[in-house]
Amino acid sequence: MSEPTGIPPVEELESTTFAGRVTARWNTAGTASAIGTTVLAFFVGGLVVLATGHNPIDTYKAIFNGTGLEWLIPGVGNRGDDASNLQQTLIVATPLMLTGLALAFAFRCGMFNIGGQGQYLAGQVVSVIVATSWVGMNGPVHIVIALVLASVAGAFWAGIAGFLKATTGAHEVISTIMLNWIAIWVADYFFGLGGPFTGVAFNPSSAPILANTHLPVFWGDPLLQGLHIGFFIAIAMLVVYWLILNRTTLGFEVRAVGFNPEAARYGGISVKRSYFTAMAISGLFAGLAGAVDILGWEFSLSTPAVHTSQIGFIGIAVALLGRNSAVGIFFAAILFGALSVGTSTRQLDPNVFDPQLASNLTLIIQGLVVLFVGADVLVVAMWRSPGRLVRRLRTK
Amino acid sequence: MEAAPVLEVRGITKRFPGIVANDHVDLELYDGEVLALLGENGAGKSTLMNVLFGLYKADEGEILLNGKPVTFHSSKDAIGAGIGMVHQHFMLIPVMTVAENIVLGDEPTTTGILLDYASAENRVRELAENFNFDIDPTMRIDRLTVGQQQRVEILKALYRRAEILILDEPTAVLTPQEAVDLFRILRELKGEGMSIIFISHKLNEVLDIADRVSVLRRGKVVDTIPTEGATEEGLAKLMVGREVLLTVEKEPASPGEVLLEVDDLYALDDRGLEAVRGVSLTVCAGEIVGIAGVDNNGQSQLIDAICGLAPSVSGRVVVAGTECHRASPREMTDVAGVGHIPEDRQRRGLVLDFSIAENIALHDYRHEPDSRRGWLYPGRLLAQAKSLIKEFDVRGGSPMSRAGVLSGGNQQKVILAREISRDPRVLIAAQPTRGLDVGAIEFVHRRLVNERDRGRAILLLSLELEEILSLADRILVIFEGRIVGEFTPEASEEELGLAMAGGTTQEHAA
Amino acid sequence: MTAIAVQRLRSDRTVPIVGIALGILAFWLTLPPVASRSWAVPVLLGIVAVLTGIVGITHGKLRLGWGAVASGLLGIILGLLALQSGVNHLKLVFSWGGLIAATLVYATPLTYAALGGMFSERAGVVNIALEGMMLVGAFFGIWGAVTTGNWILGLLIGMGMGGVFALVHAIWAIHLRADQIVGGTAINFLALGITGYFFIQIYGNNGTPDLSNGHWFRGESIPDVHIPGLQGGGFFDQVLGGLNLMIWLSFAALILSYVVLFKTSLGLRLRAVGEHPRAADTVGIDVYRTRYVAVIVSGMLAAMGGAYLSIGFVHSFNQNMTEGRGFIALAALIFGKWRPFGAFAAALLFGFSSALATQVPAAYTDSSVSVLSSGSLFQILPYVLTLIAVAGVIGRSIGPAAAGRPYVKQ
Repeated sequence: MSEPTGIPPVEELESTTFAGRVTARWNTAGTASAIGTTVLAFFVGGLVVLATGHNPIDTYKAIFNGTGLEWLIPGVGNRGDDASNLQQTLIVATPLMLTGLALAFAFRCGMFNIGGQGQYLAGQVVSVIVATSWVGMNGPVHIVIALVLASVAGAFWAGIAGFLKATTGAHEVISTIMLNWIAIWVADYFFGLGGPFTGVAFNPSSAPILANTHLPVFWGDPLLQGLHIGFFIAIAMLVVYWLILNRTTLGFEVRAVGFNPEAARYGGISVKRSYFTAMAISGLFAGLAGAVDILGWEFSLSTPAVHTSQIGFIGIAVALLGRNSAVGIFFAAILFGALSVGTSTRQLDPNVFDPQLASNLTLIIQGLVVLFVGADVLVVAMWRSPGRLVRRLRTK
Repeated sequence: MEAAPVLEVRGITKRFPGIVANDHVDLELYDGEVLALLGENGAGKSTLMNVLFGLYKADEGEILLNGKPVTFHSSKDAIGAGIGMVHQHFMLIPVMTVAENIVLGDEPTTTGILLDYASAENRVRELAENFNFDIDPTMRIDRLTVGQQQRVEILKALYRRAEILILDEPTAVLTPQEAVDLFRILRELKGEGMSIIFISHKLNEVLDIADRVSVLRRGKVVDTIPTEGATEEGLAKLMVGREVLLTVEKEPASPGEVLLEVDDLYALDDRGLEAVRGVSLTVCAGEIVGIAGVDNNGQSQLIDAICGLAPSVSGRVVVAGTECHRASPREMTDVAGVGHIPEDRQRRGLVLDFSIAENIALHDYRHEPDSRRGWLYPGRLLAQAKSLIKEFDVRGGSPMSRAGVLSGGNQQKVILAREISRDPRVLIAAQPTRGLDVGAIEFVHRRLVNERDRGRAILLLSLELEEILSLADRILVIFEGRIVGEFTPEASEEELGLAMAGGTTQEHAA
Repeated sequence: MTAIAVQRLRSDRTVPIVGIALGILAFWLTLPPVASRSWAVPVLLGIVAVLTGIVGITHGKLRLGWGAVASGLLGIILGLLALQSGVNHLKLVFSWGGLIAATLVYATPLTYAALGGMFSERAGVVNIALEGMMLVGAFFGIWGAVTTGNWILGLLIGMGMGGVFALVHAIWAIHLRADQIVGGTAINFLALGITGYFFIQIYGNNGTPDLSNGHWFRGESIPDVHIPGLQGGGFFDQVLGGLNLMIWLSFAALILSYVVLFKTSLGLRLRAVGEHPRAADTVGIDVYRTRYVAVIVSGMLAAMGGAYLSIGFVHSFNQNMTEGRGFIALAALIFGKWRPFGAFAAALLFGFSSALATQVPAAYTDSSVSVLSSGSLFQILPYVLTLIAVAGVIGRSIGPAAAGRPYVKQ
């Protein structure tokens, strides 16, 4: 952003970056406020359920039953059903952890990467193309190549936004929103009818990926969508995320820039390069999420799926609720994974609550969580300095 | 002066956490006079004016306008009462025209809805012509020079029929020629019956333009005297005052080789104005060179340019014989060996959300032992921090605690620890004791002298004259981006104060 | 001497402007009604356009010059692509009257939302929640129309609910000083969830009922305006003969927005608040109140765009029926540099690319040019152009200075 000459800049924000505020509060009242935020969101969601003539307690109970989380409590419920439900929950939580990480990494560098969805799609597109080509390649090698190239695609897609921010100052929020939609329509073209990568006649979809590129299932029946090893990849990435941030000089730079770019510059860090690197790494996680979904359970990519997918967007809620910490992201991803599985047609008993209503309830709760996190950052910040709370209340 | 004052301030007190910015201030402003408010930085001038303009609410005291007590809840009330203010940072919207800026908030309309641009422009043009302002009402603000922008601010007040005009350090942003123009305008306004409060810390200006001058020191009015017969020396004495000097025990310096050499350096500020105008200086091993000066005379830009944090326009920076012109901040710290204690420790010196250990590693995290091949060893960071915390007596936090939880003095110790432990050849300390308590000040001072004795070249910048006098072995005075004089520590405060206020240079009047 | 300078300046500008026109002409000549079938026509004209661009660039007219170069190259490419299709197919697609009418249809929801976004952002509150506010307008618009049996009430209810969602965004942005991007994201999620929830709750799987035909003051759908004397098959009949009332109203909204923002004291104050709130505050303008009003107006306008979609155009509601139009509107706002007519022009351009996206594939069903057999790539145009605009490659878009920053009173 160029400074106009002769004019002082408009007044500064009271704190550093938003990301700095979110992250910094984790150690203090963070855990409590994350739980509080969630409870409040479920409570308000329950009010909507109640107001429309349903029983919120029965509804939440039925949703919970569908998530399979009961499996974790020994001796309760139907072990077999619970296990297969929990597998579904974890299958959805897997990419959410990764897109959550993508958002969180950018946040830690002071950027808002709304483009998780586009980077996730870039990963899906590349992994499906790789996994449908090169027949006869060794399975594990093929899988690794697909995962790596998909991550690179995500990194490239996010890197565009990072590059533009570093060189021209273009705001990453706008550029990543645009890149999301470009990715959606490119994928729509690739796999749409008559598109260059359409693989099924009269069907806007890629060909199914080669059988030996499927990620191995380690829990449950592979034919009934058991839990694949992508789950461990995601867990590994949570560790990688933590390691990069806390155990590498790159992470040191990213965190310094996210908390205070001016001090980082004084410390000798190239702020612009950090913006680019952080964005690319952020996209790497999202691209990997796309590949894990394709190789783990989707096995092909169709244009309706391209248009309805929300994994990257839910990643925003995951990162915010998880307060950018690896552990927080793990639990937040499980929460949102459980919510979307528990409210799916397959799991929710329509006699208790219409699954179509429930999936929208999920969106409402998600929105409320983000809304409350947005405000609660402030409440927690003022918790630390009560004087400001009083002053703020006084300004009419 | 028999008439009642148009504006009377009685016993105004304004406290901020930790300081009393205005302490029972009394002030009288008479019709058609220019009253100067003179004082050092932090003397409480701006606070007082913000109270007068309704931006702050005074804790005690009252304001009387034409003999009647008034209360201002916002600047709107002050404007309504006929007070206009020209802020130090202009309150102008760069992308709008002169006319739009002037009528904003009090716009002429046709039929009550549509903005009447023609009439706005005409009224502004008339106003400008009345006072011989060369300003085109249809020009956009960002196309104007700073001097013209200031005139727009004055027009804004005139448009609102202000009878009292407050100017907050109006010459701080002007070139000498623009300042001359401003004074011509102010005299004209005075001739029209306007009463003016002129805030400044430049003595020659005050003597030039004001009828009377009130001197503010540490939030109190020390004296109010007519400028007729007053001298710069007298005013400087009033402004700086007699204070207990903080004595620092030190041996006479024994300067060695030249470690820092700055030659004919030019640099711009963030508004693109020339802030450093041909500064040349040298600092030798084992000496402290102090740069004295009033705020906003190019000190910050000088240091940024030396440290590679802002590009210089031309000139040379040489550290220990190595040419460092236009080096990056990292090259200055790592290769040239320059330590820098920055002016603003919270915005620049520390990452407040980082731990103390991470802050200490802010420059060195890329090198062994902190890291190897990109891999960071937090244990080593902590170990180093632990020993430095002990050495520099940082209290109130462990190596793991956030820097933000430390008190100002301890934050400064962390910075000092970081910069000194890197064994720099040259140490630049910018306002190293600003806002610190006496104990911390003493610690910083002792440490700086200690480092001098270990053979470092130290460049000290301070707005506190006493600090410079008690620490420096040589004193350079900076005024409007130039070094205007060199003094020994034996120089009197009056001499220095005069130079700092531009008293010894004649360029200003040119 | 000044006269000569002015003339020089003008001639410098003329050359690349002619170039841009030549580039467009290169493409246009290959389309009906001229439908030249020779490859030489677009290529030669395009080359001339590029040359004029180069002349422009060497004379320091960088922006126009590059524009002419781009126009020339695009003219060649598009012209050659057009040659790949049969004339009959082209006639089908480029029945200009129908295409322009379709452009207006697609542009209208964008226009409303972009104008809405302009009020909010000009006052200093970033609004990425336009998408959600549109969706709210679409759902509650149709709900209101069906419930009351009157489209006017439906429209008002939709606008009201858009205003309510905007109010939440405003409270978060202004008083709670929450990050405006986070707040906007939350509103988008909430709008998606709440409209979807109530859609299922109220209408179930049958969807919204058929709307009764609208007339001026009654009926459930917003009426089309059939202008007497323009009911034939000619060009103007096709373009203007049967536009929906909301399209005509969008022109009014456009002009009104322009007048309010740039010709009234209210607008001057609003823009001042978005550029330099402290300056506005010192002359007695209530920054908070101005921002609240602007954001709520923004939500109501975006909701109008949504309501047009549901009760003016599609005549039903589907979950997530706005499908990212709010983001295209945001793009139009940025591409149009936060100015009403600029945003409208961008909305028209983006609407045109949507219209092409639905119609062009027809011309290439039997062609080998697969890029064009799907309309998807035309959908990308708005986003690519906006990306280029924010990056500043062609004429940098810079928003209001204080947008996104909470204001703290002293």
